[in-house]
Amino acid sequence: MPARRSRPRRALARNPARGARAETAWREFAASFARAGMVPPAEPGLAAVEAAEGTAVLLLAPRQALTFTGKCRLRCLYGAVRLLGFAVASHHPGLPVFSPATHCALSLEALPGARPPAALRQLRAAARAAMRAHRVRRQARVKVMARFSSDCAVVLLEHLDTPVTRFLLSHPPLSRLFEPQKKEESSFTPEDAVLASVGIVKCSPDRGLLVSESTYLALEELIQACCAEDEGIPVVLVCGPKNTGKSTFNRYLINLLLNRLPAVEYMECDIGQPEFTPPGCVSLSSVTEPVLGPPFTHQQTPRKMVYYGQTSCEQDTERYLDVMKYVFSCYKKEVPLIINTMGWVKGEGLLLLIDIIRLLSPSHVVQMDVCDWKAMAPLTPEHVHLQAGLHTKGKQQPKCKQLDVGAAESWKCSEGEDASVPQYKLLYVHPEFPRAGVAGEARVHSGILRDMSILGYLGHLQYPDIGAVLPLHSLVPYQVPFSAVALRVIHTDVAPTNIMYAVNASWVGLCCIPDEVRCQTDGPVLLTQTPVCDCLGFGIVRGVDMEKKLYHILTPVPPENLRLVNCLLLGNIAIPNCVLVGQQGIEGEIPYVTSDYNYSILGAGKLRKKKHFKRKDFTFECDYT
Amino acid sequence: MSGRAGSGWRRGRLGSAPAPGRRRLKPLRTVVAWRGRAEWDQVMVGLYCGDSRLQQDALDRVSAWKSRYGQKMPLAVDCTAELIRCKVLDSSGRLKSHELILSYGLALVRFVNLITERKQKMASIPLRQLAREVDIPIWVVDLRHELTHGKLPRLALCRKGCDVVLDWLRKTYWSRQLGNNLCEESEDEDEEEEEANTELGNDAWEIQTPQHEACQKHKEFHEKVRDILISYKNEQFRVMQTMQSASKSRELWSDSSSEMDWILAQIKDLMQENRESVAAALLSDGFLIPKMDCLKLLNIKYEANKEVWQFKIPQTFYCFWQPLLTGLLSRSFTQILIEKMFMELKECSDSSELRHQFLISWISELLTGIAKVNAGKKRQHCNKQVSVKELFLHKVPLQWIRLTDSCLEAPCWATPHLLQLILTIMRPRLSRTSRKNLLYLASIYTEGGAPLSSPGLSSDSSEHPIYTIESLQWRVRQENQVKNQGQTVEKEDDVLERDDGVEEAEEEEEEMVTETNPVEGLAHPGNMAAVAERRAALQGSAWQITADEVQWKDFPLGKLPGQTDDPDGLMLDNYSMMSLLDQPVRDEWKTLHTNSAELKIHGTGGLLWTQNDFHKIKSGLQLF
Repeated sequence: MPARRSRPRRALARNPARGARAETAWREFAASFARAGMVPPAEPGLAAVEAAEGTAVLLLAPRQALTFTGKCRLRCLYGAVRLLGFAVASHHPGLPVFSPATHCALSLEALPGARPPAALRQLRAAARAAMRAHRVRRQARVKVMARFSSDCAVVLLEHLDTPVTRFLLSHPPLSRLFEPQKKEESSFTPEDAVLASVGIVKCSPDRGLLVSESTYLALEELIQACCAEDEGIPVVLVCGPKNTGKSTFNRYLINLLLNRLPAVEYMECDIGQPEFTPPGCVSLSSVTEPVLGPPFTHQQTPRKMVYYGQTSCEQDTERYLDVMKYVFSCYKKEVPLIINTMGWVKGEGLLLLIDIIRLLSPSHVVQMDVCDWKAMAPLTPEHVHLQAGLHTKGKQQPKCKQLDVGAAESWKCSEGEDASVPQYKLLYVHPEFPRAGVAGEARVHSGILRDMSILGYLGHLQYPDIGAVLPLHSLVPYQVPFSAVALRVIHTDVAPTNIMYAVNASWVGLCCIPDEVRCQTDGPVLLTQTPVCDCLGFGIVRGVDMEKKLYHILTPVPPENLRLVNCLLLGNIAIPNCVLVGQQGIEGEIPYVTSDYNYSILGAGKLRKKKHFKRKDFTFECDYT
Repeated sequence: MSGRAGSGWRRGRLGSAPAPGRRRLKPLRTVVAWRGRAEWDQVMVGLYCGDSRLQQDALDRVSAWKSRYGQKMPLAVDCTAELIRCKVLDSSGRLKSHELILSYGLALVRFVNLITERKQKMASIPLRQLAREVDIPIWVVDLRHELTHGKLPRLALCRKGCDVVLDWLRKTYWSRQLGNNLCEESEDEDEEEEEANTELGNDAWEIQTPQHEACQKHKEFHEKVRDILISYKNEQFRVMQTMQSASKSRELWSDSSSEMDWILAQIKDLMQENRESVAAALLSDGFLIPKMDCLKLLNIKYEANKEVWQFKIPQTFYCFWQPLLTGLLSRSFTQILIEKMFMELKECSDSSELRHQFLISWISELLTGIAKVNAGKKRQHCNKQVSVKELFLHKVPLQWIRLTDSCLEAPCWATPHLLQLILTIMRPRLSRTSRKNLLYLASIYTEGGAPLSSPGLSSDSSEHPIYTIESLQWRVRQENQVKNQGQTVEKEDDVLERDDGVEEAEEEEEEMVTETNPVEGLAHPGNMAAVAERRAALQGSAWQITADEVQWKDFPLGKLPGQTDDPDGLMLDNYSMMSLLDQPVRDEWKTLHTNSAELKIHGTGGLLWTQNDFHKIKSGLQLF
């Protein structure tokens, strides 16, 4: 067992080192050389000073970077910093920043920028004024200014504690989510203590994002395409096998674009790990804020969302395509669109991807893969043009030529082109971080990431002004009569008489079907097929009142949207176990929770995903040897 | 398998878990598809009852389980349901024998393959060998082979195979599952782990193999301790029998005998290895916390009324355990035992319970004993002419701040009393005002003597009750009144801070507590305003905010006030079906479908039906 980490004492942070003053003088002296261009700025320790209770000022020398885990609110006071591609300048409001141990760590980097041709004195005055405006203590200001140079960056880091993070951290398995994995250095500098009091811990740069050459080139090209005004609005489709960094690429791209554009749109087709919604959804979101954390920290209501109800689409690829088309129809082509796809690129998955490319007609396809192209063939326009998809056919079949080409244009994004030849630019990206593309080598199990997204979503049920976490079961639920909302189980057939056993204490999509819910009795209304319809959010069926015929539902969906909900979809996404298991203060048994189930009994486990057994040379006859 | 970073992170978490072992002994809590035991039993009985109507009902319930479990449905349940489905079909007489053979056949093939597949390791092992390992009759494996590679067998053989396999499933899975064989580990270690690792919720999802082994070792250790404790009990009972009465044997019990010395030696030996576990075992049911039958044997009348107890363990019972305790209560073990008792107390919700009473009384006895010995008064007090021996022979300086924390973490009606004891004995003492304030706060917290589990129920006054430091602070902030309460809060903070100074290691745990400490209910005025706002926004809609005056926090998810555990409680007697033939969504897309040059549907070799047609057909189908 690793030794218990002792959190740096706050007292340490409060007590600025006595010798600091002498050190300051020395640093000032050294910095003057640097300013005069006589010596390059030596790699100084981070200049982090406690600004007030729970806040710190950090001065980054030009091009100096800080890779960290933890969470905080970041505000730039002077100069500019870059965080996962997003340039933060002093006009930005405080940005919540999340760098949990489960994900690639964020790096804060001072941006060398063109400075206004003002005298150093004026710049210093500006920086000092900014610090004063944010109530940075005098002592701290002095300490920071001692290291000030015209092209440095000064940021204010504040302790961040939101209802969502509080809720997440209240679950025992996640309580250390934002804490470092292990202490990387044994020596603890005063700067580390200052950062720790804000809630972040420095970690080694290789825990941060590694941007490969090809990634850089692809990003460059995409930014140019998105910012050039003459070439039409780009639609960027990002694809590649699991664990090649699609999500991170997307976040990086979004942030880079937001430096130049007020908004980008993002279409999520990866129903296993959506960026902005709980799992199982295809959605279209308008993104205006930089993405500075993993999905569970920025769950938001998309412009359009459909609940597919599973975390993979192979069981019903037709509905998957239907859902995707439905969502895509909402895209108005006013701002660039980034489309994220599933990591399923083998066999049928690749064929499905070809369908998707054909149907969505992107202007750019970013194909991420490890260098040997083992997982998927290059998706050149020609390849997609000829290759049959899972539900669409390739162009070489003669019968296709008879079809009405003009009508097909509704599918084309760029108008007036020959419908038979896909027109997109293919960009290869070879991620170069360790473990790239190795299945099963993800940092965290995908099921856990899904649970975290759901918890992040449920965190919105917490009230903002209470310091403590309210357990879900203590919240007052909504109620709605059986007859007012239609009900459908998406992923399996449930006997109608027993359907409430499936619904009770389950995760449901709160949807809106255009049909009026007709009902002859006061009983529930069961749909005979799964509709492709708007999903307005999610909830937990807290209980089913069989006498009053009411569903009791806990949901963060705002009431004005909730009144539109007339359909509950139940899919293969479950409430995280820790929510059910962790219910406190209950007398007696907790439904669906037991300590008596014994997994070690044969047959007690689930069907395992087929592992590829190495069959030896013998065949079935060997059963009889 | 998981990345280095991931496992490192998990290990990091583990590092912070309270001492190993305190938790491990508790069996893994998992989420299952049935609401409770009753539902499980009902389905098991239903499936195996032989009446096809009841079997069908059970199958219907299993269909709901399948929805809850998704891909995680236990294989054995799935296989059983498939085989029972065949039997139901068979007895309905609707299928001809050939069709039945096909149905039985597939169910049998799936059973043999799926069950044995879990036992497959890296290289494939012949099915027969695997089947032999798990006691599946070889002829069933042969039948499977015949079904997949040979001639279709006769119906009679299929039926027989089905019955044999169902019986196997009943014996190996259904009747062993949910039994009292609490979470024994077994052959298939990685199985549980995989199950647990894909879940965030399982307490143990972060437990990796080494920990897992540790867990198993732990269990063995626990068993060892229990065995010795049982032998201690037996020995004492034997002594009692020689005396014919419990009261007479009190003296004899404390006389050392070679048998007793041997037992003490054994347990002391085990204590060297793991004190925590010994403490845990002592506090498991049947030892320091007796079961009813044990009390009866000792002729002790159990009074549920807490007043009668006066924080004392019934004398006979005290004397029964005194020799063992006196032998074990070293300085470190005393600390561990009392802390453990507080922890148990925290988890023990029902104040009328035997366990609750005994824990409080034992803590009180131990503390009184320490007080006496620390004060240097080494005397035997006489009661009813029977000398009662002391538990402690030497002074026991303890980590009092820790104990204070443990005590405060387990609030119950007796907390003020226990806290007072601790504060009186502790050296160095807290300042007078801190002691006063702590006691004051403790009695506010446990106001009215309400049991821990439902502090919210105790107060029916219109005033918002005070429960946590947060709510106190909130209150102070909001209303900025009642000065002395505000001071109490500050003092409390003072005390806590000082605790920090003394016990740095404790800081984290403390934080955890404040983090998870829920503000009870939703009675905050601020929330009330938000609720009212939402209520207004829902005017005229079918959706409403539940208005009933319900203490929701008392009801777990999936359970409503007044709902019983009746396994048939959620059955529907009427429902209506609705089809979405004219879903405008579809219509909107129909134009695209029909026009899209690339969709297969319109190729000559494409699908015969459009999606629309298909859904019309599907909606006409009745599956149940």
